[in-house]
Amino acid sequence: MLTVQNYVNGLKDNKILGTKCKNCGNIMIPLKPVCSKCGSFDVEEFETKGKGVIRSFTVIYVAPEKFKDKVPYVVAIINLDEGGAIMGRLTGVDPNKPENIKVGTKVKFEALVEGEEVVVVFRVDN
Amino acid sequence: MKEVDLISVGMTNFGKHFDKTGRDLLIEAAREAITHVDKGIDMKRDVKALCIGYFTPDLFEHQGHIGALSAEWLGLSGIPAFRTESACASSSAALATGYFAVASGMYDLVMVAGVEKMTNLDTPGVTNALSIAADDVFELTTGITFPGLFALMAQEYFEKYSGSWEDLQTVTLKNHHNGSLNSKAQFQAEISAIAEKTAIKKGVTFKDEMDFLKSKYNPLVAYPLRLFDCSPISDGASVAFLTSREISKRFTDKPLHIIGVGLGTDTISLSGRPDLTTSKATENAAVAAYKMARITPEDIDIAEVHDCFTINEVILSEDLGFFKKGEGLKAAQEGRTSLSGDKPINTDGGLKSKGHPVGATGIAMVHEIWLQLRGEAGKRQVKGNPKIGLTCNVGGSSASAMVFIFERGEK
Repeated sequence: MLTVQNYVNGLKDNKILGTKCKNCGNIMIPLKPVCSKCGSFDVEEFETKGKGVIRSFTVIYVAPEKFKDKVPYVVAIINLDEGGAIMGRLTGVDPNKPENIKVGTKVKFEALVEGEEVVVVFRVDN
Repeated sequence: MKEVDLISVGMTNFGKHFDKTGRDLLIEAAREAITHVDKGIDMKRDVKALCIGYFTPDLFEHQGHIGALSAEWLGLSGIPAFRTESACASSSAALATGYFAVASGMYDLVMVAGVEKMTNLDTPGVTNALSIAADDVFELTTGITFPGLFALMAQEYFEKYSGSWEDLQTVTLKNHHNGSLNSKAQFQAEISAIAEKTAIKKGVTFKDEMDFLKSKYNPLVAYPLRLFDCSPISDGASVAFLTSREISKRFTDKPLHIIGVGLGTDTISLSGRPDLTTSKATENAAVAAYKMARITPEDIDIAEVHDCFTINEVILSEDLGFFKKGEGLKAAQEGRTSLSGDKPINTDGGLKSKGHPVGATGIAMVHEIWLQLRGEAGKRQVKGNPKIGLTCNVGGSSASAMVFIFERGEK
C-alpha cells in the first residue's frame, strides 16, 4: 500500500510520486491511495519527471511563525507535464516584482530540506 | 421526513472579547436567542439535544469535549450534546446536524450553536491555528497561508476572466458600508471613514478610498490580496433553535421554514482542482439545496455568502447561480449585490466587516437572514419585503460547503 511516507521519501530522493490506477489508468499527482475516477484501491506508484509550468502564484508577506524570516516568498501551483498539479515554493524569480512572473513559465522540481521537512521547490527553468 | 422551522437566533457582538472565554460567549449568544423566542422557551423542558460548531478549541483554548462542557454551562447537563467541525463551516455543520435530528423525528427541538475564541493567540499563532484547515502534507510545507490560497484563486480568476485587484475593491467598499449599519459588526465603518482616521493619525492625505486602499496602510498580505481583502481575527458566538413545523407555533407565529439544505466537498488541496475559479463543493451544495426547495437562484431575495476574502464572495456568487461564470465581479461593480441591488449579498457587512470568528460564522449568517426576512434589520433592511433567503458557508479554501434556504412563514 502507498502511504504518505512513500511520498515524503520520494521527495527526499528528488522525485514527485503519483499513482496510476491499475483498473482505469487514471493518473493522480501527488499520490492518492484510491482512484478518484473509478474508486479502485488497486493503484501503483507513478514517477513524474518533475517538470511543468506555472499555473497560478502568490507572494506571501504575512507568514506562519516558522516561515516568518523567509518573507516575501513565492508559492505557486504547478501543472506537471504528466498531468495533475502540485503546490510548491518558486525560486529563480524576484518576489518583489510579481508582475514579471508569468503563468505558463516552465519550471523544474528540486527538493529542499528544511529542518525535518522536505519542501517542494520549483525553479524557473531557463 | 418532518419539516423543520427556525424559531429564533441570537449572537454576540463580533470583535475582540479579551475578557471572555468561548463558553462565556456561548452563554451570551444563548441569552439573546432565548429572548428572541417570541412566545418564550423553557430550556430545561424544551431543548432535547445540543450541537456546537467550534473549529479548533483545542488550539485556541486548550479545550476539547465542547459538547458536554457547553451543556453543563447552559444548565442542560444530561442531554445529548456534541461538537461538529468543518473548519470555517463548523456551525453550519451544527445546523445541518440539528436539521437532520429534527427532520428524522428523533428530537422535536434542538439547540445549535457556533463559537470561536481566537484572540487568545497572536497573529502568527492564529495564522498557524487556521492553517490546519489546509492539507498539512501537500500544502502547508510550502509556507502557503489562507490569504495565499485565496490569492491563488484570485490570480487564476483574473487570468481566466477579466478583472483586477482594483475591481475587487467593490466588495471591500460594499461590505464595509453594510457593516457600518450593523451594531454587532467588528468594523462599523466605511472605508472612507477608516481612510480619514488613518490620514489624521499618520499626518498623510488620501485622494480617495482607492488611494488609501493602494497605500502602505493597506499592506500586501498575499499578492495581490491586501489587509482589507481579508476578514479579521474575531471572537464571537451564535445560537439558533430548530423545531419540527408541528410544534413551531408554540414558540412563534413568525418562524422561518428551512426549505433547502445542501452540502458538498472538494479536494482540500487546491492543486487537486481542475479550476480554481469555481468551488465544486458550493456548486454541489447549491444544486442540492435548490432541488430540495424546488426553486431556482432567481427566487433568492437575499443571500449571505462566505466572503472570508473578497475574491470568494465573487466566486461563490457565481457558483450559487446568481451570475454567470466570470460575471460576478461585474455584477458587484454594477451594484447588483449592494443593499439596493436586485441580489443583495452580505447585508450585515459579511465576514469582511462583521468579523469572522470562524466556528460562529454559519449561524451568524442565519441571524442576518432571520432579521431581514422578518423585517427587523433596521437601517440595513432591504426593501421589497424579502421572502426567501440563502446562506452559503464554506470551510477552509471551500473544501466543504453548506447551503441553507429559508422561507418566511405565514404572519
